Amino acid sequence: MIGLRRYLAMKETSSKQTLLNAAVLHWMHDLAAQGIVTTDSELNVIEWNHWMEEHTGKGASEVIGKNLLELFPELIERRLDRNYKWALEGQVRVLSQALHNYFIAMPAGSGEHAFRQMQQAVRISPLSHEGRVIGTLTIIEDVTERVAREDELQAQIEERSRLLSSENIARREAERANRLKDEFLATISHELRNPLNAILGWAHMMRVGNLNKANTERAVETIYRNAKSQTQLVADLLDVSRIISGKLRLDVRTVDLIAIVNAAIDSIRPAAEAKGIVLQTMLDPAAGPIAGDADRLQQIVWNLLTNAVKFTPKGGCIQVNLQRVNSHVEIVVSDSGVGISKEFLPYVFDRFRQADASTTRLHGGLGLGLSIVRQLVDLHGGSVSVHSEGEGKGATFTITLPFVGVISNEKESESVHPTKSEELLSFDGLPSLEGLKVLVVDDEADTRELIGEVLKECGSEVIIRRSAAEALEALEQHKPDILISDLGMPDEDGYSLIEKIRALPLERGGNIPAAALTAYARAEDRMRVLRSGFQFHLPKPVDSAELVTVVASLAGRAYKS
Amino acid sequence: MKLTERQSDALSELINIGFARTGAALSELTGHRVLLDPPEVAVYRADELRGALAKFVPGDVASIHQVFAGPVAGDALLLLNYAGALQLTDLLTDEHNPSNYLDESAREVLTEVGNILLNACLGMFGNMLNVHVTFSVPRLHLETLDELLASLTTGKTEIHYALVIYTAFQIRHSSVKGFLVIVLSVDSLDRLIQEVDAWEAQQSR
Repeated sequence: MIGLRRYLAMKETSSKQTLLNAAVLHWMHDLAAQGIVTTDSELNVIEWNHWMEEHTGKGASEVIGKNLLELFPELIERRLDRNYKWALEGQVRVLSQALHNYFIAMPAGSGEHAFRQMQQAVRISPLSHEGRVIGTLTIIEDVTERVAREDELQAQIEERSRLLSSENIARREAERANRLKDEFLATISHELRNPLNAILGWAHMMRVGNLNKANTERAVETIYRNAKSQTQLVADLLDVSRIISGKLRLDVRTVDLIAIVNAAIDSIRPAAEAKGIVLQTMLDPAAGPIAGDADRLQQIVWNLLTNAVKFTPKGGCIQVNLQRVNSHVEIVVSDSGVGISKEFLPYVFDRFRQADASTTRLHGGLGLGLSIVRQLVDLHGGSVSVHSEGEGKGATFTITLPFVGVISNEKESESVHPTKSEELLSFDGLPSLEGLKVLVVDDEADTRELIGEVLKECGSEVIIRRSAAEALEALEQHKPDILISDLGMPDEDGYSLIEKIRALPLERGGNIPAAALTAYARAEDRMRVLRSGFQFHLPKPVDSAELVTVVASLAGRAYKS
Repeated sequence: MKLTERQSDALSELINIGFARTGAALSELTGHRVLLDPPEVAVYRADELRGALAKFVPGDVASIHQVFAGPVAGDALLLLNYAGALQLTDLLTDEHNPSNYLDESAREVLTEVGNILLNACLGMFGNMLNVHVTFSVPRLHLETLDELLASLTTGKTEIHYALVIYTAFQIRHSSVKGFLVIVLSVDSLDRLIQEVDAWEAQQSR
């Protein structure tokens, strides 16, 4: 028999328990922030909490007593009903958002996400009593916001790793550029030293004086050829440095493209013929004139042609086409040469790039020609492209220049410079300097004498002086017609000399036409030369033909301040 | 305690049925063919477990842990190393960029995978032993192996044994190694082995 006190205590506990159970059920129904659904073992809905009502739009009265799978046939279609079968066997099942997205379709709440369906994580548990499963409990959690945040975070991480890898790419690119420069330096010293070796070797033999006539001619020829090629290398380098520093200026006029292309072809012809290469041209007369810098356009075509000759084997063929296409003019240079591999094609116009940078390579050069071509074409507002079927299959370079409807104006139209070819050495066709008195000032004996020889050859009288002071004296004493002065001299330089001369009255030679000689061939040097009182700037090494032409032209004009 | 070769073979065969079901369930869920390598079963005393597992799962361990109760009681775990856990979730959820960490969604996926596998294997045992076993809700833990072993709920006072079942998930040309570990009391293991013997005798009859 149970004592009264104990009976009362039990009754109190059980009523407390009942109250607590009721409170838990109340919490589950009204307050829980998850969806809570309970069913009996037949899957008929027993409990459908407020959260479920709110999110599905189905009231408890509509669903209680009804079979869950009949209410939501989609659960069967999506084979999710199995989870209830397993739960009734006593298993707990968890369903992740990532693999299922949702369990019971409900619209997603508003928020910063792109989901239409509420994303859900679900747990289905058996409800057991005395070792027997009497029903199921389903808890549905809304994880939409969380998933959206995770996606965002993932995107940020991916973006960061993408940035990191693009930084790595940039670094590798910088390292590559550095390596290219190193390769370039190796190439440049090789290329500059090669002609020097020939020049020094032959010059030494001439100095020793044990060459017969035939060999002397050969020596002179070799020295001249090598010096010429080195001059070209230096000119290319200077062009590149001008392009890099943005100092290259175009002297834009109305130019006749056909004449330019022909001039370039003429200058390359001897080299092509020596290799037995056939040069074919198709120049459309409707293609010109255009607006551009004649010298630079000729340089473009010449560079492409030199390149084509260099990379085309003996007996090959080079074709040059000039045609007008709609609003632009196309110059196409194609060859039957070694071609360009697919891998190298994108880098053809890069500075310092050569497909074969090894020391044993077959083809010399600095790899600057095509880079200069691209820069010059860019400056003209055009474009250059290359096409090759691959190694051994030749290459085609296409230059497109904008066709500007220029009104042909004879006065403005600039004639193309005479071709600078080996012929110049013979002084044929150069103006005569007969009767002219030229004062040459240079501290360097070799240059002094060379200039003197060239000018004498053309019939002028030459007075040679070694310094500015001597020159001033000679000016008053000999009254020369023209002054050619070096800039860099010890004691007093060329700038100082010309300033002193220009300060002199006319009768003492203050307006003598003058040209400066300098190895500094940069644009700013040229500017300074012209500002200081010279009319002309002659870059060293002096080209004989240019010198004679300049002197002749100076003879026609006195200095006007 | 050691299993005889026949017991070991029979147990492997039974677990393999559970693995086949797991593979089928995961294939259906993900739309990719998922296979589990045939199980390799070994029995260790609980205090030898550390040495046995440390070789295979150095570093942090991801475990999906379910406690089961009833006539046969114990801890059931699916163990993966951290990199394997990342790889498995990426493979199952079609994530093309490798993840760096397990976010909540990834943890849910792992929990579901562990849940499927543990239920399939323990369900097999329950059916075979004809006993009703109840399960706790599966939990995912990321911890060191020592922390994990210390957290096993089975009493530390009596001697326990662990069935260690090695397998690998094969998904889309990738393989993720894992362990299924079932820690049982001596009684439970005895009972299990008896039933396995009986089942094996029935099969060979």
